[in-house]
Amino acid sequence: MVWKSVTNTVYECLSALHNCLKMGYLTLVLAFFVLGIVQISTTKGDTSMTGPEVSGEDDFTSKSAAHFFLPVSSASEAHKSGYFFSLSLSSSFPEDLEVSDYCLTLLRIFGERYVTYVNCSVSYARPVKMCEKCYINYSDLKDIFNNISSGTGSGNESCYNSLVRSDRLMLVYMLYSSLKDIWSVASCSNCLMKPNETALSNDTLYFLTLLNVSFSCFETHQQGNHSELCKECKAPYQRLSELYSGMEKNHTLCIDLEDAMNVTRRLWSKKYECSFPLEENVPVIAVSGFMLFLPIIFYLSSFLHSEQKKRKLIHPKRAKSNHNLMNIQDKFS
Amino acid sequence: MANITKKVSWSSRGDDSARGEATPLLNGTEEVRYTRQPSGGGIFHIGRLSTVDLEEEITTEEESVRTRPNEIPHNEKLLSLKYESLDYDNTENQLFLEEERRMSQMGFRCLEISRWVICGLIGVLTGLIACFIDIVVEKMAGMKYSIVKQNIEKFTEVGGLSISLILWAVLNSTLVMIGSIIVAFFEPIAAGSGIPQIKCYLNGVKIPRVVRLKTLMVKVCGVICSVAGGLAVGKEGPMIHSGAVVAAGVSQGRSTSLKKDFKIFEYFRRDTEKRDFVSAGAAAGVSAAFGAPVGGVLFSLEEGASFWNQMLTWRIFFASMISTFTLNFFLSIYNNKPGDLSYPGLINFGGFETDSVTYNLYEIPLFIIIGAIGGLLGALFNFLNYWLTIFRIRYVHRPCLQVLEAMLVAAVTATVSFTMIYFSNDCQPLGQDQTTEDYPLQLFCADGEYNSMATAFFNTPERSVRSLFHNPPGSYNPLTLGLFTLTYFFLACWTYGLAVSAGVFIPSLLIGAAWGRLFGILLAYFTSGSSIWADPGKYALIGAAAQLGGIVRMTLSLTVILMEATGNVTFGLPIMLVLMTAKIVGDYFAEGLYDIHIKLQSVPFLHWDAPATSHWLTAREVMSSPVTCFNRVEKVGTIVDVLSNTSTNHNGFPVVVEITASDEPGKICGLILRSQLIVLLKHKVFVERAHSRLSQRKLQLKDFRDAYPRFPPIQSIHVSQDERECMMDLSEFMNATPYTVPQETSLPRVFKLFRALGLRHLLVVDSENRVVGLVTRKDLARYHLGKHGLEELQLAQT
Repeated sequence: MVWKSVTNTVYECLSALHNCLKMGYLTLVLAFFVLGIVQISTTKGDTSMTGPEVSGEDDFTSKSAAHFFLPVSSASEAHKSGYFFSLSLSSSFPEDLEVSDYCLTLLRIFGERYVTYVNCSVSYARPVKMCEKCYINYSDLKDIFNNISSGTGSGNESCYNSLVRSDRLMLVYMLYSSLKDIWSVASCSNCLMKPNETALSNDTLYFLTLLNVSFSCFETHQQGNHSELCKECKAPYQRLSELYSGMEKNHTLCIDLEDAMNVTRRLWSKKYECSFPLEENVPVIAVSGFMLFLPIIFYLSSFLHSEQKKRKLIHPKRAKSNHNLMNIQDKFS
Repeated sequence: MANITKKVSWSSRGDDSARGEATPLLNGTEEVRYTRQPSGGGIFHIGRLSTVDLEEEITTEEESVRTRPNEIPHNEKLLSLKYESLDYDNTENQLFLEEERRMSQMGFRCLEISRWVICGLIGVLTGLIACFIDIVVEKMAGMKYSIVKQNIEKFTEVGGLSISLILWAVLNSTLVMIGSIIVAFFEPIAAGSGIPQIKCYLNGVKIPRVVRLKTLMVKVCGVICSVAGGLAVGKEGPMIHSGAVVAAGVSQGRSTSLKKDFKIFEYFRRDTEKRDFVSAGAAAGVSAAFGAPVGGVLFSLEEGASFWNQMLTWRIFFASMISTFTLNFFLSIYNNKPGDLSYPGLINFGGFETDSVTYNLYEIPLFIIIGAIGGLLGALFNFLNYWLTIFRIRYVHRPCLQVLEAMLVAAVTATVSFTMIYFSNDCQPLGQDQTTEDYPLQLFCADGEYNSMATAFFNTPERSVRSLFHNPPGSYNPLTLGLFTLTYFFLACWTYGLAVSAGVFIPSLLIGAAWGRLFGILLAYFTSGSSIWADPGKYALIGAAAQLGGIVRMTLSLTVILMEATGNVTFGLPIMLVLMTAKIVGDYFAEGLYDIHIKLQSVPFLHWDAPATSHWLTAREVMSSPVTCFNRVEKVGTIVDVLSNTSTNHNGFPVVVEITASDEPGKICGLILRSQLIVLLKHKVFVERAHSRLSQRKLQLKDFRDAYPRFPPIQSIHVSQDERECMMDLSEFMNATPYTVPQETSLPRVFKLFRALGLRHLLVVDSENRVVGLVTRKDLARYHLGKHGLEELQLAQT
């Protein structure tokens, strides 16, 4: 990135120098110099200064030419850049020269779709239905970005270079990639038809139907005693649970389904208090007490009945002058 | 010139004219196979009793000397006779010198290459074994947990969870029973982590059967059973032992157990070379266990550092690297990602996100406090385990009792785990990422939530460690962690020392990670607001390091191992500080776990230096005396008698010029080993035969190598009455240049010589170069610093 921007800058300066020499605006250079120092402007649109004769392919050649010029022109670079920046500030440069109309159209469409998609996903943020509701918008957005990045518009021109890669920020790419990350974290693609992801998958649809069945069941029995609800809705809820755990194993879950299931489970066990597992403390305590009692018996019995292992001491022969430990201690004290 | 080089001696004064008498005595080196036989009371002379008991008067001492050897219960202040020393020092007899002189430079180069090849093989095989253990454990544990999980799910709704509890306990006990039976009945040396045994081996002690193929088999199967059986154990320690066995086997080019000789690497069939390879194997084992090649090398360095050189280090590093690479490669194939080399060790701490393990200067005191806690808890662990082990040695020594004990521990482990899970009401929502919890148990939690106690208990220990390190803050509540620490501490302490092969690394890490995480949570709780830096995962790591350091007391190698296992070099400083503190605090209260177990096994282990206050002891007091000697040309009958004498199972015999009838000891001219004498007797290398049959093949070094390492006992060699009258010329086979010291040499000096050169026998001579005594490993190892100053250990038959 850094290298790219450096080359860009050098190239801009050189092209500016080239122009002003050609046009003979030497006096103008000096006049604008002071101005140029205080200005800091974006480098966008600089290529327009090379003039209309520079097309996409020439662009490349002149760029490499700029590299060759580099050592010669570096001395006067400050002046030239000053001139250039001031120029770009003072005049709104003809943008059509830099980015083709085609690309600008693409960019506009990208913007529109981006807004649509973001609107959609925000409005379905809670409860999460992002995948289910916005997948069409997302695929549109994906298409247009693919167009930008791959498509060559009119006259062999790559919009990817002009729109996405020509500056340090790469705004278009960053915007798109952040959405892409969100999409993949949500693992929305798991819920869509496999190859091109233009429709919800059958599993998802089936899950949604079951979910609706459960919800409608909850709603009808909501009034009054919850025990009735628990009895009536147990079957659909269990079917839903089984399907969910099956999908969990197959990795065909997306955030929508996970969230929906979480909500359902919370309703089921917290709000309606339908899951009441049988707690039977007595047998568990009895069995574990028995188990814990076994080692005590074991150790006691082995302590009482097992024969203690004795070691036979061996007394090695030492020289007559051997000091025993009494002497050792004497020497110490 | 030749004379100078031949006499490597501290006191080569005097010349060869000495007389002496050989009296049977115990040099303190005895083979285990003799211990069962009744010792002939008549021959058995007992010297002065040197007990630790200071109250005893000399007169009673003299009396007790006359009685039969007294028996005492097993304790830590004993040295067992069954352990022998390794011959790290080459026996430079004429045969050896001739062979070395015959070898060309090319020959030595080939040897060097084959050393590298062997190290490569060691790495590959160790990696494969690690891979095998890992996969089988994963499969079996997965099967067990899914069965139990299904059962629990079934009974949660309809009631009858006590049946699940029984099922879990029975599954655990069955697996552990298998593992324990093979250990207790077939190869008891394979019990435990094997690190103490390998430490002893690298120290120069020959532990019987420790590097056999059968041990390896039992170890591998045993560790699979005990880890899958849900005991509070890890599979990392046994990897080190396995690596060592692989190394000892591969380097010999044959298997004595399978009776298969590949006729390769014959040059390496002696203790010197074998031990070098064993250190490489241990390093490869560490490296495979933790994905820490450098840590492995340093482990070998720490444990066997007295015999070290640069080329050996480099070879060992090669073996470790190959081992971790092999494990990596095969695990990547197993995980369907061939070529993705990101499975470096059995225990994978997982990658820490860089921002979660940054630490600040003001956290360092906290780390030191954690280190101190680790030291205290480690000392408590060791202290409890010490008493438990003594109890086990004294009372639970029958194999069937050992199996029963292991099964009980397995059942209780399952029961305790189940009870903890059952009564815990710490429910956490299931993560979006389902892969974090392998066996989430819902039990009494609401749907969509899991029991957080179950992630710690209902899992293999490795995975529990990982989830403690990496689960996001808030995954555990403090009560859960506290209870878990408490129960797991006692379970792990109870488990270590059972007759199953299992390591203590992972349980220690787990205990430490649990209380470390608790520490982190509490820290964040008390300093609410600035809770960003108190990432519980980070404190879990520090706690794990502290606990492990407090228990095993390893220093450099453990730091590097942990650093490599976490893959984070910036954490080196905290880990080092924590380990240092843990060691200092822990050493104040109790010894390291491995040292305790070495002591309890009565191994004559030589530490780095002689005890600090032993300068006034000299070789005269340390040595065994008088010594059984042989003449340069000795009668076969005498040799056979001496070797067969069950009460005098010496392994080294000084060869003297001539023994006369008087009491004067003979003048030294060499040293010969029991193993060499046995080979000589077996091949009947008698002077008379050489004269009668000139065509007889000359005995070569190869004959000694073929018999290595299991020399036949003397009883299996038949010597006829006629042959007893023959003579044997030892001069060609004895080590003509043994190390000797004068009697006045101080103990530290003797110790240093012994330790640095890896000696087995050190002769003590007088000013006339006459043999007056012999110093062996057990003579040196019996001095140690106790509570009341210098103490002396006793020799015992075990």
